[in-house]
Formats: sequence, structure tokens, C-alpha cells
Amino acid sequence: MDRRRVLGGLGASVALSAPAFARRAAFRFGLTPVFLDNDANVIERLRTALSDAKGDPIDLIQRRTYQEITASLLDGSVDAAWICGYPFLQHRDRLALLGVPVWRGRPQYQSYLIVRAEDQAKALADLRGGIHAFSDPNSNSGYLVTASDLARMDETPERFFSRAIFTYGHRNVVRAVADGLTRSGSVDGYVWEALASVEPSLTAPTRIVAKSEWLGFPPFAARADRASDPNVRRFGKVLRGLGASPIGREALQLLFLDGIQQGDTTLFNGIAARMAELSGR
Amino acid sequence: MLRRFDAWPITIRVALATAVLMVLLGLAASQQVLSTLGRLQDARLREYARLHVEGLAVALGPFALHKDVWEVYDTLDRARTNASGQRILFTVVADDRGSVLAATDPTRAPVDSGIDAFVGDAVPVGEVSAANGSSVVRVTAPLSVQGRDVGQIVTELDVADLVAQRRGAALALLAGNAIATLMLALAGYFVMSRMLKPVELLAGHMGKAGGTPHPIPEAAIPRSNSVLTRLLRNFNDMAGAIDARTEAERRLAERERFVSLGRLSSSLAHEINNPLGGLLNTTDTIRTYADRPNVVRQSVELLDRGLRHLRDVSRAILEENRMDRSGQSLSRSDFEDLRLLFEPETIRRRQRLDWRIDGSDDILGRLPSAPIRQVALNLLLNASSAAPEGGSVSMRIRETEDTLELSVTDDGPGLSDTARTRLLSEAPVAPGGGVGLRLVRDLVTGLDGTIACDRSEGTTEITVRLPRRRAAEPC
Repeated sequence: MDRRRVLGGLGASVALSAPAFARRAAFRFGLTPVFLDNDANVIERLRTALSDAKGDPIDLIQRRTYQEITASLLDGSVDAAWICGYPFLQHRDRLALLGVPVWRGRPQYQSYLIVRAEDQAKALADLRGGIHAFSDPNSNSGYLVTASDLARMDETPERFFSRAIFTYGHRNVVRAVADGLTRSGSVDGYVWEALASVEPSLTAPTRIVAKSEWLGFPPFAARADRASDPNVRRFGKVLRGLGASPIGREALQLLFLDGIQQGDTTLFNGIAARMAELSGR
Repeated sequence: MLRRFDAWPITIRVALATAVLMVLLGLAASQQVLSTLGRLQDARLREYARLHVEGLAVALGPFALHKDVWEVYDTLDRARTNASGQRILFTVVADDRGSVLAATDPTRAPVDSGIDAFVGDAVPVGEVSAANGSSVVRVTAPLSVQGRDVGQIVTELDVADLVAQRRGAALALLAGNAIATLMLALAGYFVMSRMLKPVELLAGHMGKAGGTPHPIPEAAIPRSNSVLTRLLRNFNDMAGAIDARTEAERRLAERERFVSLGRLSSSLAHEINNPLGGLLNTTDTIRTYADRPNVVRQSVELLDRGLRHLRDVSRAILEENRMDRSGQSLSRSDFEDLRLLFEPETIRRRQRLDWRIDGSDDILGRLPSAPIRQVALNLLLNASSAAPEGGSVSMRIRETEDTLELSVTDDGPGLSDTARTRLLSEAPVAPGGGVGLRLVRDLVTGLDGTIACDRSEGTTEITVRLPRRRAAEPC
């Protein structure tokens, strides 16, 4: 037996023993801490549901800040990402919409302004001089809504609050307010409601002072120039059809979502209006 | 109190001393144990605090540098929830200006408040100790990044368990020591009471202070040949010797009375002999002038006076010589007897005798006769022999408010040191010489009296003061 044949045989056996999908690069799906970022179980279920539906392995890639995940999406480090409507609009020309989650029957959510339960504040104006927790400077519900509300009052967060901190997670905003680290916080209404169901002890010490108008739910997006890539298109289809499979429905249920629809950019007009207000200060 | 303690039985005293020593030993040992326990606890606590604070300091340094309130809080909160046990009660972190960045309980230390309130009684990690009894101790450490001071961390540690452990150990030691002390004290009592039985026996027979020791019955002496048995036998020998000495002294004192009379015998012989010549002359006169009634009557008068004098002298001698005079009270006639016996001696030596007795029988009668007669006679004989030929001797009895004073003077050269020792002190009598003055001292002491000796202008005066007893008291 000559050496070439032996090596060839070994190569063939390695190729055959590897899993069929390992031969292709995994689809990289980016996640911001938009929802229950501490729940590894939920994330794993989502990954499994998506992988199963797509028939390809999917890597879930998490980053601490919105900016990091948006940058990864723009530079191609991830193939698609679940981002916030605010960065989606910031990079509207370079991003394509893959789907918009449906929560409580509509592809929209609200931003909540929360305080500790015993706090007497009735509106944002009552929170002047306190310490405020934002989620992320690129979050719609966790920053833009409150910042634009302050802009309407001709104020900035830096002037209005004695100190504003970023916790890089909506759950962290709830923790900061519940523990008394800050007096108030800007939080994703969807996350607050989800936490109220799964972790009521965390939301119980907090009280909602104000809710924003209904705004476009954080969408799934891909880079516009790769939107026609079959892999990306198939992923979009998988997302929108997640409710069709039991495992997909289970994942959606864990995320407190009804499903994912195609949606369109007009859903984010409210956010666009707030961005305009903020930049027009 | 000490005197009362001295009066306690030796077995109890030894048991108590054992207990006191045990308590002292127990205290010293307990102190050692507690101090070692404290050192171990503190070392453990310091190690724990060091790991906790240093771990946090490493994690928090960069966040403190950037004043990232949330990350500081999140790190503290995760450290708190992940910490094993509940020793960490509270942690607060401040920036380099002492302004609070975050605390595990933000309501206690709000963001941007001062950390001063927590730093006050906080100690560095290397000095943390649970020894002050407080259930919470505060530890402080600097936060530094690349050698630059970026803030400060203060942690409250719960040391209630260590304090309780220390208190428990102290109580256990106290109880253990108390039981051990009690048991040893009891054991000490039993062992000592057994060992010291002969000593107790000895002490019991020693008699009270001033009393006479009496021998221990042979049956009570242990049969063994121990040191204590020999001690008991020696004691018996000693007690016998003391009895013998007391008896000898008594006999000596008895003899002294005869000695005093012996000293007077020469002058008393003259006292009897001198009138005898006159009396014999008178009988010759009667024989010669038997027919002259006038002369016979006068001669008979002379005979009668002379014989009466001789009768008085012999009565005084007999009286002085009587063996048993106990129970008789002193009276003026005692002093008249004494004068009768003593005056011839002064006449023989051509000495002047001054004799003054001031005192009613009513007062004198409260004192016993025999010892005072002996005292007076001894002092008078001493004075007469001290005074020179042709010198003077005086005797005076005087009543004061509460004493009877008996003073005897002479114009001799004064008492020698030896004589003074015999008369005025209890010091042992040197061998040789009479016991007259020592007997005076013994008799006066027996009557609760005092003796004083003065010397002035060539005259020696010995004064005996005897307390006057109440009439109701028996003499």
C-alpha cells in the first residue's frame, strides 16, 4: 500500500465521520441584551429552534452593548442580529429588515419609566435631581424615549438628573431601581412585563411612572447588501415561520412572543420622530 | 478578717489555699487558651478579609478608575450573592475623593454620598480582629490600578459567630475550672485533713494562747514512725518538762518565804535576846525585893510588857511562816506584823525606817493578804540590804482613786541591771542569785498590777500599783 493511498483513505474517513453540517460555516446570529440576557436556557432553546428549522448550525453571538452588536452586523462579523429599532434607524440605509416580533398581538412595545414602589413621583418632571439608570445609549426604550422626553422639556439627562448611569441591560435597570442604587430608570416595557412574570420579586419593588406611546418592536436585521444572500433569506424565513414548529412555538413562548412577522420600516416612525426631536435640540 | 482566717482549721486553710492557687492557675491557663483562640480566629478572619477585599479590589479597580457606578454595584452585588456563608454584611466602594460609587445596600450608602461615616472605625485588613466583642467589624483597603490610588473599599464583616465561640470557650473554661477547683479543693480537704490529723491533735493539746500545753494521750498517737509521730512524742516530752519547771518554780517561790525569814533570823534573835536580859534582871529584882510590894508590882509590869513583846514577835514569825494563807484578806495588822519583823533588821543596821500606812481595812480588805505581805517583805529586805549602814528605808501604802500604791524607797546605789531585769521583765532569770525580785514580779502580775522603778536624788523608789477590786468581787 503506497503512502498516497493511505493518506487519501484517512482523509476520506475523517470527512465521513464528521457531522454533515460541520462542513459548512455556522450561521452567526447576534443578540443584544434586549431581553432576558441572563437566561441561558431561553437562549439555548432559541438557538436550537432556529438551527432545527434552518437545518444548519447557528451560533448565537452576544455582546455587552448595542453598539458592539450593530458594529458586528455592519462589518459582517455576524450574519444577522436582533437589534433595537433605534440603531436600526441610525443605520437604516445599510440594514435590511428580516422580521419584527409580535408581542401581545402587535409588533410594537412601550418604554417604561420606573421608580421604587414607595417613590411619590408621578411623572418624569418629578425625578429632577435624582440618579437615573439608562439601559444603553443606543437603546430606544432604555435611553432615546426618556432623552427625547427631556428634550421636549428643553433638558438633557446630564442636566436634569444628578447622575445618569448606563447598566447595559434592561434587567439591570430594573435591579438598579429595585435595589435603590438609582431613583428611577428607563426600561423596555416588554422586558419589564416578562420579568414581572418570571421574576416578580425583582419587579415588585418597582412602580411604573410613565409609559411611552407604542413604538416599533426591536427588529431582526441583516446587512442590506447581503439581504439577497440565500442563507440570509432562508434565515429570515425561518424566523418568520418559527411559530410553525412545536420547538419554535416553545421558544417563542419562553420569549413571551406571539410570533415574528415581516413588518415594514413604517413601524419605526415613532422612534424616528423621537430621534429627530433629540437631534433637533 | 485575716485574724479570723488564721483561726480556721489548718485543713480548711490548706483546702482554700489549694482552691485559690487552682483559681489563679485556671485564670492563667484560661487566659492562654482564650488568647490562642483569639489569635487563631483573628488570623482566620484576616485571611478571609484579605481574600475578600483583595479579590474585590482587583475586580473593582478599573471600574473605580472609570467611576462606573453600575459595574461597581454589579460586581459587589454578584460577590454578595455568590459569597459562601454570610460573613460579608455590607461593602461600600468610593472613588479617590471619598464619594460613594456603590454599595451592596445603596439605601445605606447612596451613590455620591461621603464614605467618611464608614471609614471612621474601619481598620486595615492586617489589623482586623474580633477581640473587641463587637459582632461587626469594618475593614478598609485602598483600590489601586497600576500603583495609582483610585478609591477605597470598606467592608463590614459579621464576626458574631467568632465572638460567640470566644464567649462559649470562656464560659466552658470557667465552668471547667470551677468544677476542677471545687473537686481539687474537696480532695485537698480530705487528703490534708487525713495528713494533718496529728497536727490538729498537736494544736488541740497546745492550749490557747497563754495556756499550759497538756500531753497527748498515748492512745491518740499514731503507731507509725513518721516525722509527725516523733513530733507528737517530742511534744509530750516538752509538755512534761514544762510541768516540771512550773512545779519547780512553785516550790522555789514557797521556799522564798523561808529565805526571807532566814534573812531576818539574826535580827529577830537579837529582838528576842535583848529583852530577855532585862526580863531576867526583873526576876532577880523580884527575888531580892519580894517583901516590897511596890517594887514587885512594878517588876511584874515590866515582865508583862517584855513577855507581851516576845509573844507578838513570835506570833508575827509564826504568821509569816504559816503554810496556808489563801483566802485571807489584807488588813492593817498585816503591815504591823511586817514592821515587827522588819524593824529589828533596820535597827541592827542603824538605818532609819519611815513607815506610813494610809488605808482603811475596808479598802485593804479587798486584796489578798499573802501575796502582798510577800511582795512588801521582799521589797523591804531588798531596800534594807541596798541602803548603807545608817541609811534610810521607807515604806508607804497609799490609796488612789482606782489603785492601791505600795512604795518602798532606799538611799542605796540603785538597782543593778540584773535586778532590774528580774523585777521589770519576763526575760529568763540568769542562773545564780535569789528569786526574790522575780517572785515580786510574778505575784504582782498575778494580781494584774504594775511595777515602776524610779531613781532620783540618790533615792531608789519601787512602786507597785494594784488595781482595787470592787467589794462584791471575791478576793
